[in-house]
Amino acid sequence: MRKLLLVLGLLGVIGLAAWLITRESAYHWDLPPDLPAPVVPDDNPMSAAKVELGRWLFYDKRLSGNETMSCASCHIQALAFTDGKARSIGSTGEMHPRSSMSLVNVAYASRLTWANPLLDRLEDQALTPLLGDNPVEMGLGGSADRFAELLRSEEHYSRLVRKAFSSDADPHSLLNGVRAISAFVRTITSYDSAYDRYMAGDTSAMNAAAERGMELFFSERLECFHCHGGFNFTDSTTHANANVDRFGYHNTGLFNVDGNGAYPSDNTGLFDMTGERRDMGRFKAPSLRNVAVTAPYMHDGSVATLEEAIDNYARGGRLLSDGPNAGDGRLSPFKSEFVSGFELSAEERADLIAFLKSLTDDTLLADERFADPFLD
Amino acid sequence: MKTRRPASVNQVTELPKRYLAILAVASLCVSCDQWDRGVDIPFLATWNGEPLACDSAAPALTDLRFYVSDPQLIDSEGRIHDVGFATEMHWQNDAVALIDLENGKAACINGTPEVFDHVVGVARAGEYRGLRFTVGVPFSLNHANPLTAAAPLNDAAMHWHWRSGYKFLRAGIATENDGFWIHVGSTGCEGTVGHVTGCRFPNRIQIELPEFTPGKSTVAIDLAALMAGINLEDGVSEDCSSGPAESSCTAVFGALGINHATGEQEGTQSVFSVQ
Repeated sequence: MRKLLLVLGLLGVIGLAAWLITRESAYHWDLPPDLPAPVVPDDNPMSAAKVELGRWLFYDKRLSGNETMSCASCHIQALAFTDGKARSIGSTGEMHPRSSMSLVNVAYASRLTWANPLLDRLEDQALTPLLGDNPVEMGLGGSADRFAELLRSEEHYSRLVRKAFSSDADPHSLLNGVRAISAFVRTITSYDSAYDRYMAGDTSAMNAAAERGMELFFSERLECFHCHGGFNFTDSTTHANANVDRFGYHNTGLFNVDGNGAYPSDNTGLFDMTGERRDMGRFKAPSLRNVAVTAPYMHDGSVATLEEAIDNYARGGRLLSDGPNAGDGRLSPFKSEFVSGFELSAEERADLIAFLKSLTDDTLLADERFADPFLD
Repeated sequence: MKTRRPASVNQVTELPKRYLAILAVASLCVSCDQWDRGVDIPFLATWNGEPLACDSAAPALTDLRFYVSDPQLIDSEGRIHDVGFATEMHWQNDAVALIDLENGKAACINGTPEVFDHVVGVARAGEYRGLRFTVGVPFSLNHANPLTAAAPLNDAAMHWHWRSGYKFLRAGIATENDGFWIHVGSTGCEGTVGHVTGCRFPNRIQIELPEFTPGKSTVAIDLAALMAGINLEDGVSEDCSSGPAESSCTAVFGALGINHATGEQEGTQSVFSVQ
């Protein structure tokens, strides 16, 4: 009898441990019921400890070579995790050829960055800003060992690292730090804009102008939705229940430097990755969520306002009449068939912008879960 | 381990004891098709034939690091013999060696203090008169995760995270008001990181030096020859990171014996020579 009790007791302990472990690993996304969960890599499952660690690391300036810059320096919450600059500036002052992209709903991005079909996991993408030297962004390359040392030496970090990566023999590594940052960034999800509330049945969430703008946005006349479609307003979207790999790159007629469709040589988009002429000037359509707070626009920040962006599309391509990049993008042989131009009255343009503004999620822009923990 | 030393002295006797022990074991096995001699391949950075260093005056070296793979010796009858890497050296594994000819000082601002200026290998006994090797990382290793790769493929500065794969070669110089740097690696890669299926432009550099005598010769890398097609006096500092749109790559790739438009070997390289 005592033996039986002992066995039952042991089973109870094992059961409790198993329950605790699964409770830890089953991460709760807290998403609206109709929004599918994001894709999470098998080797980096979500956990609360990992997300908390990642949040601290995301805001920690010690992750840059000269300790002046964190991930958040170019991804500011109030600006939907962009930086408000045309082109971002690295920790040593080098200017990046590209504009900082929003991290909102990046967990749903089927491909990452402006034009890199190789990158489909945040864990891989994060290495470029951290370690890259062409250009230098955070500039940790020469002192990458310091990252592991920071995780080991600071008790607060070490405790979270050991909790988040409890099965690793030595969990204090750059790899695990990057995994934690990626897990945190995956939690930055937006689903509380006026548009979302409108779609959920609250017809008062959008005014008449925004409603008219929505009609225009989804019309064949303007064709916006071909590239900026789906719940994330980009055709490069995936999720846990998506069975097909979908992503797209589009030349929007922004440049035509040589009359043959060339883009400035430091920013040729997909062409730089593939070397195929047809890929000249092709970039990913960014998500339009929170687009009203992510100016300036385009991969190089060369469009200052939403009005200007719409005018370029209405014209069927941008005309640059002078400067080193002068040319008529409308005549580019590489331009997307969806950028064919359209007539738009001033009222209609205002309506379209009212709709784009309805994609701003003010809850997210101030959500404490994504805020700088060093300020608490 | 610091390895700066004259290239011309008898290399084998200077090798570490642990390595000698392995050689001794290997030498017992001459008749059973095994390695039985040490091979040392020293490298030297030059500018028009003169040594080039981070603290040289006009121009100064700013960077020179590259991966060596598939070293082979050519015997007096023209036969090819594989050279194995001595994996005791921490800048080598059994597939690649990292050669690093900058010391992080003066103009080498992005560099590291450690210098690796020779390949240590083993080959079958014989009379050799020529050397072949590839500057590059074999495809099977080129797209693995650099954060978990074994040395010397764990060097963040030698990895191109956004293109996937390693920088096979990084080299640069600076003059008073001009300069040039180049990063060579495979481009046009297809698939996704972790699942790369191939690269349209392999950009591996094949070197053949028919006049190389082990124990006597040094491989010189002449950056003046590399940058012969670059204007280093117009005050415009250029660079080439192997992209297809970069016109500055064409001449430099040509000097390395690569056609920039195809990424394949074409013509003769003029940068590597025997000294």
